[in-house]
Amino acid sequence: MNIKVRKGARALGVISVVGALALTGCSSSDSGSEGGSSAGGSQELTVWHYFSADNQVKLMDDYADKFEAAHEGVEVKNVFVPYDQLNSKLISAAGAKTGPDVVVFNGADASTLALAGALAPLDEQWGAFADADQFPDSVIHTVDDSIYAVQGYVNLLGLWYNADILAEIGVEAPTTIDDLEAAMAAAKDAGKGGITLSGLPQSQGEWQAYPWLTSQGFDYTDPQAADLESGFSMVRDWVDNGWLSQESVTWDQTVPFQQFTGGNYAFAANGNWQMGAAEADASFEYGVVPLPVGDSGKVYLGGEGEGIGAHAKNPELAWQYLQETYLDAEGQLLAVSNVGSLPARADASADEAVTGNPLLKPFADSLSSAGANYPDSIVPAASVADLQITVGQAWSAAIGGQQDPAKAAESVMAALPSLLKK
Amino acid sequence: MALTMDEQPTRKASSAPALRRDKNRGRNRLYFIAPAAIFLAAFSFYPLLQLVRMSVSKVTSITLNSSWAFTGLENLRKGLEGEMPDALGRTAIFVVVVTVLGLVGGLAAAIALRGTGKWSTVLLALMVFVWALPPVVNGSVWKFLLGDAGLFNTVITGLGMDTIPFLYDQSWALMSVAFVNSWAVIPFNALVFRAAILTIPTEVFEAAQLDGARPWQEIKHIMMPAARPTLLVLTVLTVVYAFRSFDFIYVMTYGGPGTATNTLPFLGYIQAFVRYDFGLGAATSVVTVLLVLVMAFIYARSIRREESES
Repeated sequence: MNIKVRKGARALGVISVVGALALTGCSSSDSGSEGGSSAGGSQELTVWHYFSADNQVKLMDDYADKFEAAHEGVEVKNVFVPYDQLNSKLISAAGAKTGPDVVVFNGADASTLALAGALAPLDEQWGAFADADQFPDSVIHTVDDSIYAVQGYVNLLGLWYNADILAEIGVEAPTTIDDLEAAMAAAKDAGKGGITLSGLPQSQGEWQAYPWLTSQGFDYTDPQAADLESGFSMVRDWVDNGWLSQESVTWDQTVPFQQFTGGNYAFAANGNWQMGAAEADASFEYGVVPLPVGDSGKVYLGGEGEGIGAHAKNPELAWQYLQETYLDAEGQLLAVSNVGSLPARADASADEAVTGNPLLKPFADSLSSAGANYPDSIVPAASVADLQITVGQAWSAAIGGQQDPAKAAESVMAALPSLLKK
Repeated sequence: MALTMDEQPTRKASSAPALRRDKNRGRNRLYFIAPAAIFLAAFSFYPLLQLVRMSVSKVTSITLNSSWAFTGLENLRKGLEGEMPDALGRTAIFVVVVTVLGLVGGLAAAIALRGTGKWSTVLLALMVFVWALPPVVNGSVWKFLLGDAGLFNTVITGLGMDTIPFLYDQSWALMSVAFVNSWAVIPFNALVFRAAILTIPTEVFEAAQLDGARPWQEIKHIMMPAARPTLLVLTVLTVVYAFRSFDFIYVMTYGGPGTATNTLPFLGYIQAFVRYDFGLGAATSVVTVLLVLVMAFIYARSIRREESES
């Protein structure tokens, strides 16, 4: 009898070890309460986001203050979820019929979230929204003819430059890739770094790679291995020449900008949302020009999509929150002053805060001359995430030297046919 | 016969309460086991069953919350034709490095901390602190230390040598993450080894010293034999620990550069939670679990052997 018990206990122990191990790989940490709740007559509105930069967090706080001031008894609870955990947490939560009231997420993931049932359709609310005509179609995320999210602003990449370094090496802000490479070479000769960007093997890498790959003629509509290889080769050459640190494969988009504001790099390929960080941290003169990606080059028009959770506790209040913050002219100007985002509304984008800001103008120019849908409209909704990591990993492999540019291009080309199949 | 007649009622009277006591004891045992059994059923068996079911089904973000179409071994085939073999190779290298460094480091630390003086107590407390640090915090600190501008490269360049690409060269990156994993497991191994070494009577060391044994000979002929039974158990636990390592890779390299540090658990994560191919990710995880299961059985056998020896 004893022997049996011990055997059983041992078997139980073994299975528990395995079970615990299996769980470890798939578990994720708790990052706050899920869903809104009412308690003691007060209402709680839960907003999930992935912002960690100070200026972006401040914008979230400002929105919470604005809404709470207008609605007595309402508490807006901003919950931070790391960028690469947000989607999976939302999808898991939807499976458990729970989730936040409001979701602020990477706009490119709208289709992933909508198809997974994590977002509520907004057709009814949008149809009744008086200011709907202020918004261009490009910021409205539609999946299977239903609206699931709207962007309050647009974010895109530009070329930040350290004006002090350019003055020291005697070059102007570049307008072509040749100019850029000449300037980086001169900066290196002067003992400075060339450029910072993100080479992380995930969607941020793909977002950063796109302008440089398209500058060499690559296009998802008619993908050619030679163009892709040319794009990877160009950036790998930057590493070999000492203009770009190979360490960029470990950087998300925040770290390279911190490196830039440290004052030792001539350029940073980074977004308009870094305006607050530049003002706070840079102790040198700086400016922005459009990314010099030539005629074929394109720059993704990104930004966060805002939607209502499929299982929101307070969907009406959530829509009210969106109307009075992200979709409101005054709210969008808060995003301009805090973060440097380009407002989506026509009236807000014509405001002096935007038109009179010399740092925003190059982004606005880039938007009209090279702006491209993010994700590319040719990519089927179900393949967006897959394509992003495939290209992100190849970008990282080329920069980090894990694969030579030809091999990196080959790996992407092998995956593209199935990913682009409708 | 009379005696037998006399004895019978007595035996009956004494055995009935004893049986009841045994029954009660058995029931009590069940009550004590129940919470753990329920916990295991809910948080281990059920997820494992779901994992296996998912691995033989087509599950994406679209179908995750609806019914899953059975696809047999299609996910496994897809994985084996894709990134799984490379990830398995990297996992093997990773496991070997973590196990060797973790065990050697743990034993060395245990021998060094054999004493019961103040410093050994302070160092032990420090090691417990390192062991208890969340991997995300530990990994972030190490990412900073191993960066181009981190402590290690500052010292290296200060000595006139070139910067070492700890986290962004494909060979260095895997080794660096394995090293940090070893660093994190050394305190646990040291504590277990130390417990084994502390069971050696002090008279043995005194006798050895009287016989003129040098410290190295004490280690080789007294401490290492005493730690040997523990070694097998710790080896299995360290291999299992290395096999399931995910956190440090996630924080320090995100599998990069490219896919250079994509081990099996991280590959499973990417497939399931980044590509949203939950079926494929589950198939990769099932392969990992099966490999861990083998280790778990070795662990159980070694425990049994140790119990029978003691």
